[in-house]
Amino acid sequence: MEIKQERDGDVVIVRLSGRLDSGAASSAEEQLGAALAGEPPRMAIDMSGLDYISSAGLRVLLVLAKKVQQQKGKVALGGLVANVREVFSVSGFDSIFTIEPDAASAVAAVR
Amino acid sequence: MLSFPEEIVLLLLDETKGEFISLPESVFAIVMSGAALMDLALHNRIDTDLEKMMIVDRTPLGDDILDDVLAGLGKKAAKLDITDALYDVALSAEEYRARALKRLIARGILREENGRVLWVFHTRRYPVIDNAEQQEVRARLRQVLLTDEIPDPRDVVLICLVDACALLGFVLSEDEIETVTPRVEQLRKMDLIGQAVTRAASETEAIIKFAATTM
Repeated sequence: MEIKQERDGDVVIVRLSGRLDSGAASSAEEQLGAALAGEPPRMAIDMSGLDYISSAGLRVLLVLAKKVQQQKGKVALGGLVANVREVFSVSGFDSIFTIEPDAASAVAAVR
Repeated sequence: MLSFPEEIVLLLLDETKGEFISLPESVFAIVMSGAALMDLALHNRIDTDLEKMMIVDRTPLGDDILDDVLAGLGKKAAKLDITDALYDVALSAEEYRARALKRLIARGILREENGRVLWVFHTRRYPVIDNAEQQEVRARLRQVLLTDEIPDPRDVVLICLVDACALLGFVLSEDEIETVTPRVEQLRKMDLIGQAVTRAASETEAIIKFAATTM
């Protein structure tokens, strides 16, 4: 699992790639939490390189969404591949997150 | 913080009478099993996806229920069907209820009262001495169910368990239950083991109802 981070104005763009599962969850939770900057935080997560997500990975994103809500910020996901999109649909996570077709739309959604 | 098996045993006790709320044993077994599996998942011992359950860490937690479940799962394949695992663990649910009760008594949350009815029948009750945990769970679940607050993973598990036991009335009024039905459906989907618990508990209840109407 690889996590890269960049800024576009007041938006933090996080690019996830590989597998977000129990092996990666702890480090991902720490890095995503640390990436929450700004008052309120605005984060766009590019998921186009993420090819697998398990329940442990979903919990990482749930904890992140909760923190963003508590800080009255915004988070959007973009570029979900088909199998990750299916996990979001089955688990109802698509009702928690703003999901956009790609990273650029996710950035626009949190502006 | 209590484990989920302890939480569910506590939630199933009528606070004033110290007796268990009526629930078919087979449904209780599934819920207890789900509680243990979801606890192991939150402790990063197992992980799940849409197809299977994986044991990712066999290190014991020092919990005599969760470690027993983990050891049992470890004797099987590294990848398991979630529903099969749920039913396997459910076979030991009564033993786990007994262990959870012992622990709740040892923590000073419950006390055990033995008695007799008509000088013949042995009875056992578990009056709640300290209901702080029950009150806290109620308040927490009300907050998550009645607002659009994003739950934390522990809230999601508790909602799955409470809903599978048909215990929402413990947390909400009848009017509130009607209004939060879509919210409950949204939240209980969020844990894949929780989804299996809901399915298995519903199927078991349907079988019990069918058997009752055809006898």
